[in-house]
Amino acid sequence: MEFASPRHAMTWLHTWLGLIFGFVLMVCFFFGALSVFDREIDRWAIPETRFDPQPMPSFDQVLLPAYQRMQPDQAEYDRMMPLYHDPAAGPMTPRNELPVDEYWAYTTHRDPVLQIGVGFRVPHPLESVGHNHIHANTTIDPRTGDEVPNSALKIGSDWFYPLHYSLNLEWNSVGYYIVGLAAFFMLVALVSGIWMHRKLFRELFTFRPWKSRLRSILDLHNLTGVVALPFHFFFALTGLIIFASTFYMPVSDTLLKPLHEQQEALEASQNGLPHERSGIPAPLASVDAMVLEAKRLWAERGMAGEVGFLMVSHVGDANSFVSIYRAGSDRVALVGEAIHFRGSDGSLLLQELDHPAVESANEFLTGLHLQHFEHWSLRWLYLFGGLLGCACIATGFLFFIEKRKFQHAREGQFGSRLVEACALACVTGLLLATLAMLVANRLLPEGDQRADWQKWIFCGAWLASLLHGFVRANTHNAARASAAWYEQVWLISILAALAVLTNAITTGDHLLRTLLLEPYMAVAGVDLVLLVCALGATLTARYLQRRHEQACQRVLPSQPASALLDGGAA
Amino acid sequence: MNTAFWLITACLLMLVGMIWLALAKPVHWKQVLGAQANYGRHPVKALQRAGAISLLLSALACLAADHPSMAVLVWIMLLALSTFITAMILSWRPHWLQPLITVRRLTQS
Repeated sequence: MEFASPRHAMTWLHTWLGLIFGFVLMVCFFFGALSVFDREIDRWAIPETRFDPQPMPSFDQVLLPAYQRMQPDQAEYDRMMPLYHDPAAGPMTPRNELPVDEYWAYTTHRDPVLQIGVGFRVPHPLESVGHNHIHANTTIDPRTGDEVPNSALKIGSDWFYPLHYSLNLEWNSVGYYIVGLAAFFMLVALVSGIWMHRKLFRELFTFRPWKSRLRSILDLHNLTGVVALPFHFFFALTGLIIFASTFYMPVSDTLLKPLHEQQEALEASQNGLPHERSGIPAPLASVDAMVLEAKRLWAERGMAGEVGFLMVSHVGDANSFVSIYRAGSDRVALVGEAIHFRGSDGSLLLQELDHPAVESANEFLTGLHLQHFEHWSLRWLYLFGGLLGCACIATGFLFFIEKRKFQHAREGQFGSRLVEACALACVTGLLLATLAMLVANRLLPEGDQRADWQKWIFCGAWLASLLHGFVRANTHNAARASAAWYEQVWLISILAALAVLTNAITTGDHLLRTLLLEPYMAVAGVDLVLLVCALGATLTARYLQRRHEQACQRVLPSQPASALLDGGAA
Repeated sequence: MNTAFWLITACLLMLVGMIWLALAKPVHWKQVLGAQANYGRHPVKALQRAGAISLLLSALACLAADHPSMAVLVWIMLLALSTFITAMILSWRPHWLQPLITVRRLTQS
């Protein structure tokens, strides 16, 4: 393929990469934007957890009994145990007899409930080195230690959040690779977009809604792409960095595995944190006393804070150690200032004061993406950035369609209508699926299958949106957009209002209560955003419907797309 | 001074700064002033300088509000928000920006 100039090559690259990966990127940006408030969506979806955020509870009184009740995950045991276990060393240890090797707990300033986990050791591992663990993860009420039931799906942090980085496609981690590829090509699309734009600074503030449709869509695409360019660039890049070592370039687990393990052992011998179990049993001293000491040491260094992450390694062994990390609420890094204690007697083993520059840079980059810091203004600005990304991708789709639809209609091609149906599923369809899930969350009866039903309703609504787009695609009149746009926007408006209504009816937490009588901003915030969404969708649907009806009365114009770009018909 | 005060200050300084930078461009100057743009001088340099200083002051306000690592992120995101708001005002309500030009003219006279 030959191009007249590098700019033409960049245009081709930007157009086709944007189209192919835009559908995936739309999912990443939209659910990434929702994930900024994942904990708040969780509170909305699980009314039993609507109480104030809690600090890390007592390990000795609350966490330890909760850990002791936990059993290795059945599915993970079935999947991984045959891979980890060495049959030559003896029979496979039954699931509920696996010995405990590690405990962990993680919380942030927005969490009323606490995520905890246990790593169970495989007694006869095929490879003696490496992480041979079968896990058990759960969420508890830190006030009592009681488990939050599994049927209560955390829609924000267990559905929307993983959707934006794995598409919830767990089979062979294929979703991670698709998203990684899309993120990489987004960086390419950004660079090619800048190259082809030419008037980046001259037209920085330019949006001309009074010009032709094609011109105004392109203006909006450029505007939403350029104003948040640093946001788009860094979020694609840091998204890749976060999963680089696990999925995209796992050299420490493949090519450089022996070197990696040597380095781990060397680091352990240098910093005094035991790398292996000693084989000598030893009880665990009071972890609460270690937490108190860690807080005292942080305060002594002028950075008093709460515990964000706590981990006990080599549980029940003389080499056991407890790692306590300060919550990074007041800075970008997730956690930091780790202090490690010997598990058997609580003596101080290591204080991590300064990190190497590379590690600090990595912590900053991952922290800015995962945003567990306590900064509500920045959180809203992130939401705005994510929605700008969605607008940029959506207008990219619209530009693609508008530019080609007359030509395709004349030639009897279905291309632009196919893209329109897919764009519908990725723009209005995502909103419909999200809102359908929220309404289902409030209306479905209690039961073991409740979480699964919510997921199926989400997928069903999304698929229905795509099918509706195909059914309503019109090939005979290119001058008008598909009627599916305004029909789906009307449905968005209805579902958003219905979500607020069902929340008020089923929980009693109407806006009057959550805003004024017993303020609870997590739920009030979600309700208010839903109402704004309902209002915005109503206005948009009315506008789109009016325009569609006017277009129905028009005759198919004959001028080419380039004439429209230069400022022709509206 | 509390964090909220510095954040609001940073936000306003950023918005005013971006508006001045936009007005330094002839096309937006004409958009705001309409026919009046043909009379009198377009103070390009002054608007650019005022815009740049305003953005710098906004950065200082961000630093006063937060830890430097956080302030950088807030400043960059405010840049995006303010640019978008400026573009939207220029598109739909350009006459809203006339008072800001008046301020510049008064300071010049």
